[in-house]
Amino acid sequence: MELHGVDVYIWTPETPDLPKQVGPLSLLLISNRGTKVYPPPAPEMHLIDWPRCRYFSETPVTDRDVNELLDRLSADGWVWTKAQKLYRIDRVDQFSKPY
Amino acid sequence: MAHKVCLIRGDGTGPELVQAVETVFKVAKVDIDWIEVQAGLKCVEAGKPIVPKETIEKIKEVGVGLKAPLTTPIGTGSVSPNVTLRKRLDLYACVRPIRSLPGVPTPFDGLDLVIFRENTEDLYAQIEYMVTPTVAQSIKIISEFGSERIVRAAFEYAKKHGRKKVTCVHKANIMKIADGLFLRTFRRVAEMYPEIEATDNIVDNQCMQLVQYWKKYDVLVMSNLYGDILSDLAAGMMGGLGVAPGANYGEGCAVFEAVHGSAPKYAGLNKVNPTALLLSATLMLDHLGEVQAQKDIEGALSATLSKGVKTYDLGGTAGTQEFAEAVASELK
Repeated sequence: MELHGVDVYIWTPETPDLPKQVGPLSLLLISNRGTKVYPPPAPEMHLIDWPRCRYFSETPVTDRDVNELLDRLSADGWVWTKAQKLYRIDRVDQFSKPY
Repeated sequence: MAHKVCLIRGDGTGPELVQAVETVFKVAKVDIDWIEVQAGLKCVEAGKPIVPKETIEKIKEVGVGLKAPLTTPIGTGSVSPNVTLRKRLDLYACVRPIRSLPGVPTPFDGLDLVIFRENTEDLYAQIEYMVTPTVAQSIKIISEFGSERIVRAAFEYAKKHGRKKVTCVHKANIMKIADGLFLRTFRRVAEMYPEIEATDNIVDNQCMQLVQYWKKYDVLVMSNLYGDILSDLAAGMMGGLGVAPGANYGEGCAVFEAVHGSAPKYAGLNKVNPTALLLSATLMLDHLGEVQAQKDIEGALSATLSKGVKTYDLGGTAGTQEFAEAVASELK
């Protein structure tokens, strides 16, 4: 399994304004209850206070890259409650996409 | 004044089912201004999204839609048009009335249930990972907000329709955190409706209870996965998907639909049963406040079935349009 990114679940009532790039990781999307809300357009829907923020790189990254991203988000004041690493096997995503 | 309703004619057998509904509605004393909007296979073939933005916007504007079955293209990576509509319109409550129909024999006489299924969260948020090469994980999301609004919808429905009992279906004995939140929310909301009996049951036992003691139940409310399973179980008890209506409600709009597929192999054969879409359209009439028209059409449908006019799935020989005309003639 090759590491390509991380889903960071942040405790916040709104869609967070996060850094678009941290090291090799880019902010690819934010979803709420599985529905994409960033980049726009976002549907008119109630948001729960647990958006999933996907940082991703098309080229493999390291644990250190993920750790540095999480440190940066914490330093910026974001409270993350869960992080799930995103892997590919033979270039196939091992994670689901949002609606 | 005419009620404006967005109409999706659908794929496969959808257009002939819609024609059957139109045949009946023309005779019923109700004035509907149908506004046609597009979704499904035809949109994909025209290079558009499976549910175009204009369709979403129009349904939001009008507030009501009637949808014939749509086809999800296989092998193209296209998303389900049905799920897209639910997600984009935030149609959080999937409602399935389940009741015995005359002339549709089943072992379950006197069946009269309504299932409320939460439509936007649970495992259907579809958040999944392979966390190691040999371990998969799906995240089940249950929120207090999502739980509360579906439970409230069930109690409000019970209150409006004179129903006596609401049962919460869960698995909180095992999923103490997620289903525990759903059950806790149910119990809190239930206190606001003291005139309605509130009970709860674990989902596996509820399945058994439904097929053994169906008359004990009235309105049932549950999260997405249990609702998906129980609503089809209950549709089977009613006589199959050909006769089971469905409605999806959000805060600002509602979409009514037959819950069966588009059956493309029967397209153009004037064969399939229009009962499910017709009953879905009568749920729409209830939503629009046209209660008399709803009762008239449901009565005409019952009379038609009682006389033995049935489509092939119920053992009859009537075609789709012939069946619709028989229902219409009962209204005249």
